[in-house]
Amino acid sequence: MTNLEPPVQQPGHHAPGGTDDESSIEIKDIAGLSQGQIVRKRFFRHRGALIAMFALLFIIVLAFTSVGPQFGSFKPGGWWPFTWNVAGAIENGGRPTLTVFPLSFGNHPFGQDQVGRDIFAVVMRGTQQSLMIMVIVGSIATIIGTVVGAVSGFYRGITDAVLMRFTDIIITIPVIVIGAVLGRRFGFAGAPVLALILGLVLWTGLARLVRGEFLTLREREFVDAARVAGARDARIIFRHILPNAIGVIIVNSTLLMAAAILIETGLSFLGYGVQAPDTSLGKIISENQAAFSTRPWLFWWPGLFIIAIALCINFIGDGLRDAFDPRQKRMPTGGALAKAKRAGQPVAGSQKAGDK
Amino acid sequence: MSQPTPTTSPTDKRRIGAPLLEIRDLQVSFATQAGMVPAVNGVSLTLLQGETLAIVGESGSGKTTTALSVIKLLPGAAEITGGSILFDGVDLTKLSEKELESVRGKQIGFVPQDPMSNLNPVWRIGFQVEETLVANGKAQRGRDAREKAIAVLESAGLGDAAQRMRQYPHQFSGGMRQRVLIGIGLSSTPKLLIADEPTSALDVTVQRVILDHLAKLTAESGTSVLFITHDLGLAAERAQKLVVMYKGRVVEAGPSVELLQNPQHPYTKRLVAAAPSLASHRLQGSASSIAARDQRDAESADVDLARTAEERAAHAASALAAPPAVQVENLTKVFRISSGKLRSEPFTAVDSVSFSIAKGTTTALVGESGSGKSTVARLVLKLDEPTSGRIVVDGRDLSTTRGKDLLALRRRMQPVFQDPFGSLDPLYNIGATIAEPLVAHRVGNAREQQARVLELLDQVSLPKKLVDRYPNELSGGQRQRVAIARALALKPDIVVLDEAVSALDVLVQAQILALLGELQSELDLTYLFITHDLAVVRLIADNVCVMRKGRIVEAASTSEVFDNPKEQYTQELLAAIPGAGITLGA
Amino acid sequence: MATFVIRRLIASIFILLAATYLMYILTALSGDPLEDLRTSTAPNKAQLIESRTRLLNLDVPPFLRYFIWLAGVGKCFIGQCDLGVTVQNQPVTILLAQAAGSTLQLVTIASLVAIILGITVGITTALRQYSGYDYGVTFISFLFFSLPIFWVAVLLKQYIAIGFNDFLADPKIEYWIIPIIAVVSGLIWMSIIPRKGLQKLLTFGIAAVATAGILFYLDLSDWFSTPHIGIVGIIISSIAVAFGVTVISTGLKRRRALYAALTVAGVGIAIYYPFLYGFSLSLEAWSLALLALVTIGVSFAIGWFWGGADRLPVARTAAITGFLVAGLIALDRFMFVWNQYANSGRIKGRPIATVGSATPGLEGSLWVHGVDLFTHLLLPTIALILISFASYTRYSRASLLEVMNQDYIRTARAKGLTERTVVVRHAFRNALIPIATIVAFDIGGIIGGAVITERVFGFVGMGQLFQNGLDHVDPNPVMAFFLVTGGLAILFNLLADLVYAGLDPRIRVS
Repeated sequence: MTNLEPPVQQPGHHAPGGTDDESSIEIKDIAGLSQGQIVRKRFFRHRGALIAMFALLFIIVLAFTSVGPQFGSFKPGGWWPFTWNVAGAIENGGRPTLTVFPLSFGNHPFGQDQVGRDIFAVVMRGTQQSLMIMVIVGSIATIIGTVVGAVSGFYRGITDAVLMRFTDIIITIPVIVIGAVLGRRFGFAGAPVLALILGLVLWTGLARLVRGEFLTLREREFVDAARVAGARDARIIFRHILPNAIGVIIVNSTLLMAAAILIETGLSFLGYGVQAPDTSLGKIISENQAAFSTRPWLFWWPGLFIIAIALCINFIGDGLRDAFDPRQKRMPTGGALAKAKRAGQPVAGSQKAGDK
Repeated sequence: MSQPTPTTSPTDKRRIGAPLLEIRDLQVSFATQAGMVPAVNGVSLTLLQGETLAIVGESGSGKTTTALSVIKLLPGAAEITGGSILFDGVDLTKLSEKELESVRGKQIGFVPQDPMSNLNPVWRIGFQVEETLVANGKAQRGRDAREKAIAVLESAGLGDAAQRMRQYPHQFSGGMRQRVLIGIGLSSTPKLLIADEPTSALDVTVQRVILDHLAKLTAESGTSVLFITHDLGLAAERAQKLVVMYKGRVVEAGPSVELLQNPQHPYTKRLVAAAPSLASHRLQGSASSIAARDQRDAESADVDLARTAEERAAHAASALAAPPAVQVENLTKVFRISSGKLRSEPFTAVDSVSFSIAKGTTTALVGESGSGKSTVARLVLKLDEPTSGRIVVDGRDLSTTRGKDLLALRRRMQPVFQDPFGSLDPLYNIGATIAEPLVAHRVGNAREQQARVLELLDQVSLPKKLVDRYPNELSGGQRQRVAIARALALKPDIVVLDEAVSALDVLVQAQILALLGELQSELDLTYLFITHDLAVVRLIADNVCVMRKGRIVEAASTSEVFDNPKEQYTQELLAAIPGAGITLGA
Repeated sequence: MATFVIRRLIASIFILLAATYLMYILTALSGDPLEDLRTSTAPNKAQLIESRTRLLNLDVPPFLRYFIWLAGVGKCFIGQCDLGVTVQNQPVTILLAQAAGSTLQLVTIASLVAIILGITVGITTALRQYSGYDYGVTFISFLFFSLPIFWVAVLLKQYIAIGFNDFLADPKIEYWIIPIIAVVSGLIWMSIIPRKGLQKLLTFGIAAVATAGILFYLDLSDWFSTPHIGIVGIIISSIAVAFGVTVISTGLKRRRALYAALTVAGVGIAIYYPFLYGFSLSLEAWSLALLALVTIGVSFAIGWFWGGADRLPVARTAAITGFLVAGLIALDRFMFVWNQYANSGRIKGRPIATVGSATPGLEGSLWVHGVDLFTHLLLPTIALILISFASYTRYSRASLLEVMNQDYIRTARAKGLTERTVVVRHAFRNALIPIATIVAFDIGGIIGGAVITERVFGFVGMGQLFQNGLDHVDPNPVMAFFLVTGGLAILFNLLADLVYAGLDPRIRVS
C-alpha cells in the first residue's frame, strides 16, 4: 500500500505524422468526433472500467444514503434503521443475518460487534470516511503535483532544478513513514485534516510525470504556433499544454486515490490514522483484529469494502488510460475479431478521405 | 549528371527472365473495432529475376503493407485474407512460421525505412551483422563470423569496418546506419531484396550515394529488388518497372520510362504532373490561373507544376526592386551542448548569416539536416534569442523592440510549421485554432473574429463547415491549410514557412504550393521558405540561400542557382535531386 | 561514466541530508516527548522530566538538536557511530544492529522473489497477449493492487498458517480436492500454451491427468510429512533443467550447449549422494555460499570446454544449469531435515510460524536453521510481495509489449533469426532497461510495507524500532530507521543507474 508510484506508463503520444496504414485506420475509427467524445467512446468500450464505475457509484450512494452523512452538527440520517455509534441488543449472537439462499438481509446483515453496534452501519460510516479521505487526498495531491510539475517542466532551468530536488527529498521518505509521522501529529484533528496532510506528501510521483509531459509538450509545434500567435505564458500553460496533459493527470490521480485509500487504512491500522470516536475502514479492522477468531465478520466486511473500492478505482484508471492513450489500446477480443472477419468487408465509406 | 540506373552498369550479371516473385490478387486487412478494413485490395505484380521493381504510392496506399506481406512481417492487427505470393514457385502465404524463418534473411533480404530505429541500440554493430550470418548459415560462430561481418560492412561501403564493428548504433550517423542495414539485408546473398523507402529519412546527397551503392551491390550479385517509395522520380530512376498503387489497389504498372512519359490512368497523370522532382520550373500563381482553377471542381484540381511555370518572369524582376521586408545581418546563434561531463561545449548552429528578402518575394533557405536553417527560422520568429547579429523588420531591429511594439511587430510575421499533425492543438477545433491569434491580440469582438475565421477558411479553399471540426478529422493537406489560415489571421506581411510542405504527399504538396503562390500574389506576402528539398525550391522561390554547417555558402536568384551553380556543394545538391535527368513526354 | 555516478552520489547525499533534517523536525514536532511524565503522578515527576530533558537534549530546539544527532552520525566515518539513546536510555546503535538484520533479510528476500516472479509472469503474459492467462494475470494483479497489506497478513496468519499446520498434523488430501486442483491446473496450462481446437483439449487433458497423478502419488507416499525429491526426482528434474535452460539460453540447435548442460546435470546427479550424506553435514552459511560460487565456476568451465568457436553462450548455459541443479540438490537437502525440524521439541509439529523472525533457542545444523528461516519468512514475504509483484508484472508486460512493437524487432525477424532469438536477445534484453529503474524505485515501498507486515507478524525489527520511537516522540530511533531505509533507497537508485548504464550502451558509451 505504500506503492508510492502508482502503476503508471510514461505518457504516450500519438505518433506525429501518422502516415502508416495502421494509424490512418485509427483516424477513420474516430472520424467526426472531438477529443472528449473519443475518450468517452473508448472508455465506454472498456467493459471492466464500465462495470467498476457503476459498482463504485453504487457503493457511494449506498454509503451516503444508508446511514446519512455527518459533518459537524449536520446529520440528516439515512434509511437504515441503525446508526453507527449506538449500541443495540445483540441478536443471533452478533453473527451476520445475511443469507444468500434464500436471499434475506435480516436485522443485522453484516452482524454486530461485542457491544451490539450494527456492523453494516459502522462499515457504511467507515466507507464514507474512507471515500472522503480518498477524494481529498486525490484532489490535493493532484493539484500540487500538477502545479509543481507544470511549472518545473514549462520554465525549466533553475526553477525546475529547485522544485525537482525538493520532490526528490520528499520521495526519499517512504509514504507510510512520513504519513505515520504526520498522522501521529494530526490524526486527532479528524479525518479531513489527516486527508489534507496525506495529500501534501503524495503528490511527488504525479509532479514528476506532469513535468515529463510538459517537457515534451512544450516542444510541440502547436505551442510554438501559439506563442508566435501572441499567446502569453499563462495562456500557453493553461489553454494549450495542460489540456493536452490532462490524460496523464486524470489517469494518475485515479490511481493516486486507490493508493490513498490503502495508505489511510494502513495508517489507521498502525494507529496513526483516523482516531476514535471517528472511524474508517482501516480503523474498524485495526480495532477488531484481536476478535478475529471469535467475530471474523468484523474483519471481513470492512476489508471487502476496501478491496471493492480500490479495485473499482484501479479498473476505472485502467479504462481511462486506454481511453486517453490509444497506443496501449486493448485489441478487440478474439470473439469480436472473429465476428468482424465473418462479417467480411467493413462499413462503406471507411476509406481515408483524400485531401480536397 | 550521372545516370546510376543499374541496367547500364558493366558489372551487371543479371539474368532477367524467369519470374522470381509473383503476387496474385493479394488482400490484406486490418482488424479494427469497425470490422476488417482492407489495406491492400487485390494487388497483383510480377518481379523477374535480376529485375528492380518499384511500388510507388502516397501514404496509406498500401505499398508498405504489400511489401511486408511477402515476408509476413505485418503489424499485429493486419492479416492476409486472400491471394497468393509465389516466391520461386513456393506460396509464401502457406508457409509455417518456422519455414518462413528460413526464407527471411536467407532468400529474401529486407532493408527498412528508418535507419534510426531499425538497429537494436543495445548490441554492437558487429554483433548484429554476425548474428544474421550465423542464423542464415553463412558463417560459423566466432572468428569466421567476425571476419565475414567485416567483409559485409566493407562491401556496404563502411570505412574502417574492423573498428566500427565494436561500436553501437548511437555512435553512427543515419547514413552509416543505413549502410549497415543494407549490408545486413544483403549479407546472406538473398535472391530478393525488399527495400522499403530505404533512404527517405536521409539527406538527398546521402540518399544518392547509398542508392548508387545499393544498385551496384545488387547488380553484382544479381539480386532482384522490390523497391518501395513515395517518390516517382526516384522510382523511375532506380527501377525498370513501376507499379503505382492508390488506396490499396494497383492503378497502373509498366516499364518506368514508358509509364512516366505516357501515363494512362488519371491518377498517374496527376502524380507525374505534381512531382516536384520531375517538374523543372517554378510555380506561379498568376491571376489567370486562379480564375481558371476556380472554375474547376476543387476535388479534381490537378496542379501541373511544370505547365504553370514560365508565366511569371516579369513579375519576379519587378519584385526584386522592392524594399526589403526582412533584413538579417550577421546572425549568429551558439548553443551550449552538454558533453556528458561537468562542462558544456559551445556549438555554433548559425554562423554570421546575412540575407534580405524584398517585399512580396520568396526567399528559400535550403540545407540538409543540421545546416542551421530551422534555427534561422526560429530566430526570425523570435522563438529563440540570437547570440549576435540583427534581424531588421521594416527598419526596426527585432532584438531592441520591447513590449507593445514587439507584440505589434510579431503580428507582422507568422509561421507555418512542418508537421501538420503537430502544429495544431488537437483539443482546439478549427475555428478556435484559426481565431487563436485574434483572441491573443484582442482583435475585434467575438462576432468579428468569427467572420474573419470564415473569410480565412474561404481564402485557403476549405469548406466553412469545417469550422467546428477537430484536427484529427482532417487530412494532412487540410491541416496545413488550417495552419496557413491561422498564419494569415492577423494579416501579416511576412510568413515563415518552416518545411511547410515537406511532410505532405506529392499531390497535396502541389496543391499547397499552388495555394501559397496564389496567396502571395493576392495579398502581397513575403515568404521565408525553409526546406531541405531543392526540387520544391525551384517551384516557389525567387531567391535561394544554400546553407551548410550554419553558414550560407551560396545566395543568388533561383534561376541562377539552378542553371549556373557556383559552389560545389550546390552542384552536389542539384545532382542529387532524384529523377531530374528523366525527360518527360509532352 | 565514473563522473556521472560520482555526481549522482554527491547529489544523493545532499538529498539524504535534507530528507533526514525534514524527518527529524517532523518527528520531534509530532507530539510532546514528556507527555507521559507530565500526566504521571510519580512523586519525583520534576526530577524525571529534568533527567529525560538532559538525556535527550530536549532543551535544545529541534532545529538545532538535529545537528547534535548529525554529529553523532558523522562519527560513523571514524568508526564510532553514535545514533543517540532512546527514551529508556538504550543506545540506538545497538538496537539498530539487532533490528536491521531481520528486516533486511525479509526485505531482501521479498524483493528478490517479487522481481523474479513479477518479471517472469509479466514477460510470459506479454508473449501470450490476449490469452486467458493474460487476462487472468491482469485481473489478479489488479486485485493485488487493491489489497490492504495488513488485511492479507492477518488472513494468511489465520488461514494459511493455522490451516496448513492442521493439514500437516494429518497430511491426507481429501478425495474431492484432487480433481478440482487437476481441472484448475489443466485450465491454466491450456491458457498458457497456445494451441487450437483438439490440441487445446489435449493440453488440458495431459495437464490435468499429470497434476492428479502427482497429487495422488504425494498423498499415497505420505510426502507431506517426509518431503523429498530423491535421486529419481533429481535425475528427471536435472535433465529437464538442462533442456529448459538450453532452449531459453541458446536454443536446442546448438548441440554443444545442450551437451554441456547435460554434462553439468550429470555431474550434479553424481555428487548427489556424497553431498547428501557426506560433506553437507558440516557446512556453514559462508561455505555454502562458497560452494555455490564453486559450482557456478566449475559449470562455466565445463561449458567453456564444450564451447567450440563461440564459447561464451555455451559456458553461460552450463553455468545457469549448474546453479539450478545445485539449487535442486540443496533444496532436497533442506527437505531432508524437514521431518526432524517439524517434530523437534520447539516446533511441536506446527512448522509454519506466525510470530517472530526465528525460533528462539533452536539448535541444529545450517539446514535446520534454513528451514526455520523459511517457515518464518514464508507468510510475511507473501504479504509483502503482493503489491510489488503486481506492479512488476504490469511493468514488465507493458515494457516488453512496447519493445516488441519497435522497428528493430521487425528487422531482427526479417534477418531470419528464430523467434526465440528475437524474443530473448532483442526484446527481453531491451525490455529490462525500464524495468530496472522501476524496481529500484519501488524499494522504498517495500520497506514501508515491511513496517506493517512486521507488526502483524510480531517481528522484532526496524518497524518496531520506528513505531516505538514515534510513539514516544523520540527522534533517535526513528532517525536510525530512516537512515537505513533512506540509505537503501539511495543505494538502490545508484544501483539502478549502474544497471541502467550496464544495460544501455547509449548511457555507458557516450
